[in-house]
Amino acid sequence: MDTFLKEMADILDEESVRENDRLDGFGSWDSLAVLSVVAMADSRYHATFSAREIRGVATVGDLYRLLSAGAKAG
Amino acid sequence: MDTSFPNPLDLAGRHCLVTGAASGIGRATAELFAALGARVSLVDCNEASLRALAEALPNGPHACHVHDLADVDGIDDLVRDIVAGLGPLHSVVHAAGIQSVLPAKDLKPEVWRRILAVNTEAALALARNMARKRICQGGGAVVFISSVMALAGSAGAVAYAMSKSALHGLARSLALELAPQGTRVNCIAPGFVRTPMLERLERDWDASQREAVEALHPLGFGEPQDIAQAAAFLVAATGRWITGSVLVVDGGYLAK
Repeated sequence: MDTFLKEMADILDEESVRENDRLDGFGSWDSLAVLSVVAMADSRYHATFSAREIRGVATVGDLYRLLSAGAKAG
Repeated sequence: MDTSFPNPLDLAGRHCLVTGAASGIGRATAELFAALGARVSLVDCNEASLRALAEALPNGPHACHVHDLADVDGIDDLVRDIVAGLGPLHSVVHAAGIQSVLPAKDLKPEVWRRILAVNTEAALALARNMARKRICQGGGAVVFISSVMALAGSAGAVAYAMSKSALHGLARSLALELAPQGTRVNCIAPGFVRTPMLERLERDWDASQREAVEALHPLGFGEPQDIAQAAAFLVAATGRWITGSVLVVDGGYLAK
């Protein structure tokens, strides 16, 4: 989770992010950030997600659980 | 009175090399060129699609060459094999292309280098062979498929835009080098065309995003045949006096 939080902070261009942070609370949570998460899911979790699926989650923690579940299923 | 009129797009007797031939714009170009009488050497990394296409093409003979164009060093040998197969080339259409939509800060060097290799370096490696008499005996044509992204910015498309705009500079200078041999070099800059590449992008759009992108094209999305017909125009006798140019085929995207 710690590594994921650091990666998300980098994508969102924030000093840090927390598990309970709402993604739509970040001004940088836009379509390009979503694409960065799709690319991260592929390279780090070897899981394929659509931008639509990524946009569907509410918090940073929800996103972590989505990607982790995708990695296990893969 | 003889009322017959020769087909100005006739490519009978011409040997044309088309990259990215297994799908999209490359496939439509190969199909049209074969229908216009050309012998087509098809290049792609998708062997199954390539062979199925070659069997379906009219006229001929045609040839398949499976090659990953990111292997730029191997392109001279590829061209030599192509010429050994069907004889000297009349024309090259570089329709192969890849992209990765990502913000610049998250683009890794290996990703943009691959995009540049396939989209740009392969174009140069292929086209410079047209200067060699054993490859092209003059009077030929080169077409690079660039993109409106080379002329209008789009966030997330920096590597793709960079790779496609480089083709414009390449075409202008190579056109001057090959003009003494009568060989013409041009680009076609398509807007959004219904190809597998666009389908992959569309999967991530919701309905409103799709409508917004389509609305940027006053004439709607293009079809691969729209670009193939432009390529035939440039390659055939109709393009006799056109070189070093960029033909925009975009449904009006850049007119706004």
